[in-house]
Parts: sequence; structure tokens; C-alpha cells
Amino acid sequence: MRRRDFLALSAGAAAFSILPGAARAALPAPYDRNAEVPVNDKKAFIEWMVANRGEDPKFLAERFDRFQIMVYNKDVLDDRNKRAFLSTPREEFVLPQNLGRAYDHAFLDIGYGVTISGPHLVGRMTTVIDVQFGEAVLEIGTGSGYQSAYLANLTDKVHTIEIINPLAQRTRRTYDALIERGYSVFGSVTSRNADGYYGWESVGPFDKIIVTCGIDHIPPSLLQQLKPNGVMVIPVGPPGAQHVLKVIKQQLADGTFNIVRSDIYNGKVVPFVPFTKMEGDQIVGTHNS
Amino acid sequence: MAAVASTSRPSIASLEAPRLAHYLAVGLIAGAIIALQISVMRVFAVGSWSHFGSLVVSLAMLGFSLSSVVIFAGKDWFDKHWQGAATAALLLIGPLAVASNLVAQTVPFNAIFLVSDPEQKWRLLANFLLYLLPFLAGAFFLGIVFLKSRTAFGRVYFADLTGSGLAGLVVLVSMYLFSPETIIVVPLLLWAAGSLLWFLAFGAWKSVVAGVVVAALSIAGYLMLPGLLGIPDIAVSQYKGVAYARNFPDGKRIYRSVSPFGDLQVYASSYMHFAPGLSDNAAFGMPEVPANTYVGMYRDGDGPEGIMRNLAPAEQVYFRYLPMHYPYVIKARPKTFVVQFGGGISTQAALDAGSTSVTVAESNPMTLRAFRDPILRDVTGDILAEPRLKVIDYDGRLFLANTTERYDVIDLSLADSVGLSNPGGFAISEKYAYTHEAMLSYMHALADGGVVSVTLWNKEEPPKSVLKLYSTIAEAARTFDGQGAANDIFAVSSYLSTTTVLFKRGGFTEAEIKTLRDYTRSMSWEEIYYPGMAYDGSAAQKILDDYRASIFGSGEDATLTQPAADATAPADPTAPANPDCDPTAPADPTLDTCAGAGGDAGPQVLPATALERMAWHALLTGGWEKLASDYVFDARALSNDQPYFAAYVKVADLPRTLDRLDLFQDDWGYLLIWATLGIACITAASLVLLPVLFGWRIVFSRSRGKLGTILYFACLGLGYIMVEVGLISRFTVALANPTVSASVLISSMLVFSGLGSLFAERIFDRARTLLPVVLLAICVLLLAYGFYLSPVLDWIGAYPYAVRLLLCFLLVSPPSFLMGMPMATAMTWLARLGKEHLFVWAWGINGCFSVIGSAAVPIVATSFGLSAVLQWAAIAYLVAIPAFFAVLLPAKAPSVRLVTA
Repeated sequence: MRRRDFLALSAGAAAFSILPGAARAALPAPYDRNAEVPVNDKKAFIEWMVANRGEDPKFLAERFDRFQIMVYNKDVLDDRNKRAFLSTPREEFVLPQNLGRAYDHAFLDIGYGVTISGPHLVGRMTTVIDVQFGEAVLEIGTGSGYQSAYLANLTDKVHTIEIINPLAQRTRRTYDALIERGYSVFGSVTSRNADGYYGWESVGPFDKIIVTCGIDHIPPSLLQQLKPNGVMVIPVGPPGAQHVLKVIKQQLADGTFNIVRSDIYNGKVVPFVPFTKMEGDQIVGTHNS
Repeated sequence: MAAVASTSRPSIASLEAPRLAHYLAVGLIAGAIIALQISVMRVFAVGSWSHFGSLVVSLAMLGFSLSSVVIFAGKDWFDKHWQGAATAALLLIGPLAVASNLVAQTVPFNAIFLVSDPEQKWRLLANFLLYLLPFLAGAFFLGIVFLKSRTAFGRVYFADLTGSGLAGLVVLVSMYLFSPETIIVVPLLLWAAGSLLWFLAFGAWKSVVAGVVVAALSIAGYLMLPGLLGIPDIAVSQYKGVAYARNFPDGKRIYRSVSPFGDLQVYASSYMHFAPGLSDNAAFGMPEVPANTYVGMYRDGDGPEGIMRNLAPAEQVYFRYLPMHYPYVIKARPKTFVVQFGGGISTQAALDAGSTSVTVAESNPMTLRAFRDPILRDVTGDILAEPRLKVIDYDGRLFLANTTERYDVIDLSLADSVGLSNPGGFAISEKYAYTHEAMLSYMHALADGGVVSVTLWNKEEPPKSVLKLYSTIAEAARTFDGQGAANDIFAVSSYLSTTTVLFKRGGFTEAEIKTLRDYTRSMSWEEIYYPGMAYDGSAAQKILDDYRASIFGSGEDATLTQPAADATAPADPTAPANPDCDPTAPADPTLDTCAGAGGDAGPQVLPATALERMAWHALLTGGWEKLASDYVFDARALSNDQPYFAAYVKVADLPRTLDRLDLFQDDWGYLLIWATLGIACITAASLVLLPVLFGWRIVFSRSRGKLGTILYFACLGLGYIMVEVGLISRFTVALANPTVSASVLISSMLVFSGLGSLFAERIFDRARTLLPVVLLAICVLLLAYGFYLSPVLDWIGAYPYAVRLLLCFLLVSPPSFLMGMPMATAMTWLARLGKEHLFVWAWGINGCFSVIGSAAVPIVATSFGLSAVLQWAAIAYLVAIPAFFAVLLPAKAPSVRLVTA
């Protein structure tokens, strides 16, 4: 290879890696939220996704491996959630330096002192609030945008608020770029830069609320904007060591409300789930190895 | 011994008769090194997390041992070229300090990703290696000076210790003048002064010029390079509380003060909301949470603590929904004491509840100064000027321990706590306001029928700190009221929010219990204990076993309790969480869902709540020891001897944490200490073994008593540092602030030890008989301090601050003075006996074991108590007695040359 060609190629590769969104082609087929994404077979999944979404087989393989572990650990339960997880390209929402760890069992830095939660936690929280199509969902703390992207595969009314302006703008650009490429589903996400403490009264009330920012109490406005018998989940604690608080706004017979706190395991003590990984088609623990 | 550097003049050839200027220079350089140590820890405290600063700095001190080994290996070369080597090492300290600090800011590591991101451990290593460099240069300089002043060791050592000690005070005072971004100027100035004095003492004019140029460039570089290169002065982690305030669009710093008490900053933003422990029912019971109510106070970038503005009367219903309102539900128009002012919310709540008077204590003078500043006076409506308010400017715990006043309500709410969890874990720090002794002081200061109210965060699952709090209060209540204790307690909690415990002197009446229970229900908080509460312990053992399995289980049975197996899981979130009435649930009539009318049933009692109920039941009626031993985490009470909300992992479980470290993020401060100890031990072992590789047989063939000598200096290294670090923790009781306590202790100990080493010259000749007596005296003193220090410090704590400082100084002096003698005496004897290699090496051994000792202190303290730290140190000094005779064994060579001092 001549030196000049090599340099040109390297520059092209570098530009590609810096601007993955802009440089990639549009989806081969129109995005269908209800498409029957294969969930039982890795090869079929990858082939289907390459044919319909044009995504990178490397990330698809990682996504499916992670998915199998999540199914094993009951982080995702029903078919709708399974498809939603498999349809959401997590690699689009992580920083370039973390692309290699996009599907790790780990939370990752996304700048501004904010993290993207591990796929298992996102799966678990979303499964717990059991979003039905057409339900209005509010997310406080847009962050990377991955959680809302996942939700957009479950319902067409996703509202998300981010307090940090540059982060809100960056994530909006991520969505817009993906929509332009054909991920029409992300059109269901309405985002704004504001203080999520006061919720989003003009578009509320909401069936489900996910709060992903640290706060020393549950903002009263959010409880007010939650529909009767609505559910809210809030991770409490430092990133990576969080317990997810589940709050149900229970309507009593006399019309008043009772706020029921529990955790997402419905008050069970949950055994430690070992770090598992895929070895071939087998799920194995990495304990003490 | 006759080696003369070719470049030096004969009269000062080998530093055997150093001049005053030499001593001053050595003192200044030793002072610069300790100042750099404290400054680097400030940089870490503000930029990321202080306990990682301690790790990096304590390991950097291994530089002393490393330099000792290198000098040992190349002793002949260093003997010949000592002046050039010393000059080079000296000139490098400043530039290396500047460069390493600057480069370290470009490779910040993020503690919270330490487990999940493989890159972070390399960044941590890079930080360690970078900060090692200036310490290594300093250690080489001092090592060479010691080597060349063998016979005057006692005096040079005196200069070294006194310089270090006084520099501690200099840095303390400098913290009023220099912010953390510029604090390294202090060690640089000390270094510059020391270097110039050193070169001047030798009349080495070229070196003087070089020194001036290097010093000027270093200081200018330190202050200007970050700006020129676009590197931050201190790379503040984006995960520090203050970084978020800066990210808020309208975030604005309205106040800052720097002092030894920390870098205190106050930010205003409409995006700040505080309502610690707010009841969920506030959403429906009150019109609106008051907006724009707070500014956020940050200490060293951690926080925020909310400072509240003066609420309009209509907004004051807000206080009713906070857990600190509890005591006022049964106490009308009380005389109130607030143990810690902090951001002032408890004080506001006390005033709002109609207290006739509120006495509030705040031991941090900078907090009070901030509140008296015109800007914050505007924000708070000048709360400190409120006529009902009386401010005590020292520790509330000490005030109550020594006062004859009696109060109707004593409140300790969320002190030392900032609401949000602390990513990266908490440092091991003493929480004297929450100890058994403190609780007893509060109880004694109650008027008849008075109430102590303690509120703590309850954000752990499995519960950790709340169990320690419960056992502490229960122990104190039993001490105070014997069998009556079961009638004195009322406890509630809110899941993953807060817990509040009330203690009433004389016990609660039926009517009061009813009032408190009604209030609890109206707030949707959980009852944990009240006198007469029914209890069913049938599920107790299962809960304990489940909690242990949840942390240390293999995960094989994970699926059994996962949501899939749970009929109430996501399928219908609106359904009551316990549709199938569980007959094994605790038989609490207020919560027993079986008794409900069906549709309105609440959830099954959460395991955390059940555990908390079990804990109180066991604490007040028996069985606590078994429960605590079966529970997965340590739940022992806090005492002045073990004042820690930390070290929850039981020692026997430590090896099992390794493959699941992310489960222990809030205890990393503790785990890190073990890691430090491990690294220190491994490094120390290598440094001790290296000389063996360099030729133990050849070099040491003439030296007898090698093993004894190693043991002796290891004991001194361990013993001294354990006393120093242990006493710093202890004296925080009287001095009310860890930074001040550290500075006073370091300074007084080192200065008095310096005097001791100077005085030791008088006993050198009779060392064989006198030094064992000195060592025994140290041992006895330390044992006595271990047993009797606590009440003495409580007594000292009631005096004005200046008197306290003086008394602490005096208290430290006797053991410190004696502890200065063994090192100087033994080193001088090694030199006299011509055991020169052992002389160099002993210094390194001492350094190694100092690092091990400093890492061991928090482990001993959390496991066995602070008294044990002093007892272990006493044992080390005792063991040193027989080992000392090995030091005195003459060298084997036929011509033993005794050098007279």
C-alpha cells in the first residue's frame, strides 16, 4: 500500500469513528416497532437486524449475548420488553471511548458526572414498570438517551427531561441523527432541557415515571403528576450500587391516595447475581475464576 | 568515615559537625516534605476523594524506604559523591512536585469506575507513581544527609522532626491564605528557603544561583502553567457535588471561604431542592413545596447541604412533613437543643415548632462565619440573630456533657450528612456525635420527660448504618434506664429514605404513643418500635439468612426469588403487593394485611423493615448478640473507642468481597485501607528483602544482631506512627475537627520527639541501662493513655479553644518526648559500632513499617477500638526492649572502631 493511500484510509477511518452517526447509511427497511425481531436464535437475530436495521453484526452479537444473560437473570421477562431491548442500539448512546464496553454488565461514564446504567438495570427497571402501548411515560434525567430509546419501542408517548443543558442538546442531536437514518421510532421521544423536579405538567399526568437523578426525597410534583395507581421507579444510592425504589400511588376506596414504597423486587431479599458471561452458547458464571 | 567529596571544603566535608544553617536547612526540607504531603491530600480532597489521597500519599512515603535501599546498595558511591547527589536531589524536589501535580491533573482517575473500568486502576497507579517522585527526591536528600552525619545523628534527627512538626503548623495557618488550587506554594516556599540555606551554608555560590532560578521557575510554573497549557489547577471530578452545581444553567457561587476547616463554597440555583426525608404525603397534604428555598453549601466540593431561606408563614407547614418534626408532635413550647447546626434546617424546624428557646451548637467556625456573612444573612433572613436562638461555637456533644442546663428536646438530625449518596465511598472518619457516650450525654441533659430525637439516612439495602445507630441508642438507653428502656423508645423509618429514633426520659405515656403513631400513619412512615408493639419473630432467621445470601450467596438460587416467581410482579403493578395474605408476616395489627378489608391492603412488610423491627426487639428484650452475629454486616454500637459508621464488612468475610466489589461501594473507604495495608506489606517485604539480594553475607558479615536490629527499627516505625495516627483520631474528640487535630498532633508530637532525640545525647553512653527504661516508660504511658484518655479529652473539650489547644499540646508531650529517644540512640550506636550499612538500612526499615503502621491503624481501630491502637503500639515498644540489645552487639571485625561523638 502506498503511503498516501494509507494516510487517506486512516483519515477516513478516523473520521468514521468520530462521526459514527453522520457517516452511517440509512436503514435498509422502514422501522417497525411491532416487527417480530427474532428472540430465540442469535444467528437469526443478527441476520434479521442486518437486513432490516443495517446495524453492525459485532454489536448485534454482543447485544444478543447480553440479552441471553438478562433473560437468564430475569431482567427482561415478556416478549415486548425482550424485543424492545433487542431493538435498541445501545452502542449509539455511549461515548466513543466506551464502545468496546457498550454491552458490559457495567454502568459507563457519559460526561457531566452522569452515567448510562448497565443494560441489566435498564432492562429490570423498564420491565418492572410494565409499559403498555399508548401509556404516557415520563423520564427525569435523560442522560445518554438510552432509557428513552428503549421506552420508545414500548409506547409512543415518551417524555424526557434533562437538567444539564449541553447534555440535553447532545442527546437530542443523537436522537435527531438516528431519526434521520430511519429510526422513526425515536420520534416518540419528546425531550426538553428543564428542571425535572417539577415534572412536565402540561403533558401529564403520566402512567409511569422513571427518575434517574439523585435527590434526597421524591419530588411532590412527580407524585401529583402520576396517575392513580401509577408506578414510579427511582434508583437510590451511588452509581453502580443502587437500589431501585418502586413507588405505587395507590388509590384507596375513599378516593384518597396511599403511597406504597417497596423495591423493584417487591420486597424480596434478592440473592447476589453473579457476573455471568456467554461462552459459546452457554451462560457461565465468572465467580472465583 | 573519612570520605571527602572533592568539591567540598575540608571543614564541612562530611557533615559530622553541621552548622546551624545545616540544621535549619534540613528542618526546612523535612518541613517541605510534610507540607507537600498535606497539600497533596488537600488536592485529592477537593478534586476527587480524600481517602484516595491518603492512599496515594501514604504509599508515596515508601519513597523513603526505596531511597534507603538504593543508598544502601550504592553506599560507597554515595559516600564519595554525596554532595553532588544531595544537590541534585534537592534541586529536583520542587520541579518534580510541580510537574507531577500538573501531569496528575491530566490523568484523573474516577473512583466509582474502579471496579468496572479496567483503565481506572492504571490511572490510580499513574497518580501514585507521579506523586512518588518529589517524595523520592526529598527522601534521597535526607537519606544522604543522614548518611553523612552519622555521628551527629541525634541533632540532625532533631532538626528533621522539629522542621516537620513546625511545618505542620505552617500549613495549617497557610490554609487560611491559600486555596487548594495554590496550597502547594507552601511546600515550594519551604523547599526554596531550605535549598538556598543549604547551598549558602556550603558557600556554593553557583548552586545558590541555580537554586534561585529553579525555585523561581518552579513556583512560577506551578502558578502559571495550568493556565498556559489549559490544564485545570485541580481536575475536579464531574461526580463531585459541586460539579453539578456548576452545571446548572443558573448555578452561581455566592460565597467561598478557605481555611483549615475546608474549602467552603455556597452556590445558589433555582435547581436546588432539599427536603431530607420528606414524607411522600406532602404531595397531597400541602399546597406546594416552597420553591427557590435553598442555597447549597459544599465542603471541599462535597455536598450539598441545604441552607434554607426564611419561609413565609403559609409555607411553614412544610416542616410538619420532615422527620425532624417528630419530637415536637408531643412536646409543646419546648426548650430545645440542636446538636449540630449544619445547614440550619433542624434549627428552623425547632423554631417553627414553637420552641421557647433553641440552643444550637456548631463546631465548624467557618459555617458560623458564612451564616454571619451579609450575603447569607440575606438568604437566611439572618437566622443566627433570631432572639430565641443561642449559638454554642463548639461541639454540641461536649457542651451537653459538661452543662447543668436541661432541655425538653435534643435534636441530632442528619448531621455530617449531605443527603445524596457519596460515589466512591466514604472515608473512615470518626462520628463522635453518634457514640454511646454521646447518647448518654444527651440523655443526661434531658429535663424530666424530655426527648432525644435522632434522624439518620436510611438508604442502604441491606441496612447497615441504621442498625449501628439502633444498637448504640439501645445500649445507651439500657445504661441510662436499665429495665425501663423498653418503654423509652419510639422508632420509625421510611424505606430508602430516613429513620428517626426518639428516646423519652421517663418513658412514653399511652397517649403519647397514640399521638406519635397517628402522626406516623399520616406521614406514611413505617413503625419500627413503640412500647407494647406486638412482635412475631418466626421469620427472623430466614430474613437473616436471606440477607447473607443476598451478598455472599452463590446466586444459584437467584431465580427462586426473582420477580418471575413473584405473582405480584410487573404483570399488574396496580395490584396490592401482597394479594395473598401472608400468615407468616409479622403480626402488627396496623400493618397486617390479613386484617384489612381486601382492596386497600398495603404491601407485605419489607425485609428491611422487618429486620429493623427484629433489631429493636432483640436490643430491648434480649437476643441481640446472636442476631448481630448472624447478620451479614457488622452492627456493633458506636463508642468513643470505635466511633465509626464504616467497616460494615466483617473481617472474616473480606476475602469473599473480591469477586463482587461493586456490592460494597459505600464501604470502599474501608476496603481501600486493607488494599493499602496489603500493598504496603508487599512493598515493605520487597524492600527488606532487596538488600539480601545485594549481598547480605558480604555486606553484613561484620554486623551482628541483624535480625534483632531489623526487629527494633520495625517496632519503632510501627509504634510511632500508630501512636500518631491513633491520637489524631482520639484528639478529634476535644478539638472537634480532624484537620486541626491532625495538624496539632503531628506538630506537637514531632517537636517533642525532636527535643527527645536531642536530649538522648545525654544518655547515649548509658544507653544499655537507660534506654530499656525509656522504652518501658513509653509502654506504660501508652497503656495508660489507652485506658484513661477518653474522659480526659471530654473534660478538655469544655474549655475555650485556645486552652484546649494548649492542654492537648501538654497531654501529647510526655510520650512524644520519650518516643524521640529510641531512634536517635540506636542510630548513633549503629554509627559508633561501625555498622554503616545497617545504619542506612535501619532508616528504610523504619520508613516501611511506618507506612504499614499508618494503614494498620484504621483497621485496628475499626476492629478492636482506638485503645487497642495504643495498646498495640505499647507492645511494639515493649518488644523493642530485647531487640535493642541486638543493636548494641559489636561488629565482628577484629578492629572494632568506636567513633566518639
